[in-house]
Amino acid sequence: MSAVIVLTPMVVCAWPAIASAIMGAAASMGFSLRGSALHEEKESRLRKVERDIEQSEVVADQLNPGEKIVVTRDDLTVEFGQDRRGRCTVCVSGLRHSEKELKRIGDEIAGRVVQQFAYHKLVTELKHRNYSVVEEEVLADQSVRLRIRG
Amino acid sequence: MGSPEFEVIISKTGKVTVEVKGAKGPRCLEYADMIKEIIGREEERRLTTEYYAPDAQVRIDARVRDASG
Repeated sequence: MSAVIVLTPMVVCAWPAIASAIMGAAASMGFSLRGSALHEEKESRLRKVERDIEQSEVVADQLNPGEKIVVTRDDLTVEFGQDRRGRCTVCVSGLRHSEKELKRIGDEIAGRVVQQFAYHKLVTELKHRNYSVVEEEVLADQSVRLRIRG
Repeated sequence: MGSPEFEVIISKTGKVTVEVKGAKGPRCLEYADMIKEIIGREEERRLTTEYYAPDAQVRIDARVRDASG
């Protein structure tokens, strides 16, 4: 090897690309899509926590106000949307989980969204530059390892 | 010089670690910059021994003449 770099992805793109990453991340964690929905403000005893997807910004094809992507697993519901600044938001709610557990789940799924986004962005861009993925595997810690050759 | 190879690890938190292989000297930095341009913000960069290896090959021809010329 000659150089090693560590990077934090900037998730700056149109909403459809982020939505694609959301679906991949949700599926990898066993969530299923409940569909896009307009957020409904209603009284609820559900415990809820809000997280952000760091370094994210929706720059085109933005969601309609209040529109969300909603995924569920058991009693958990995760709503993905965007705030007024264009940053991607993650709202996790559930009946049988503590606030700490909901935060952990929210951070994990947000991280997986970034992982999915980075994977697709890198593979797509390098393919355009005539590189090929020669090896790919998911490691035990859920990292994705790629070997890419020009 | 052969084409470069990238060993990429994308963690479950989204952190991307890339090893650039098969490129020596400043050329490897060009590949690292290319990856950075695609992904985003650089947090850390480490250069390894291969970076400091010469990119070009140098051949030395030497002839030994005896005292008589």
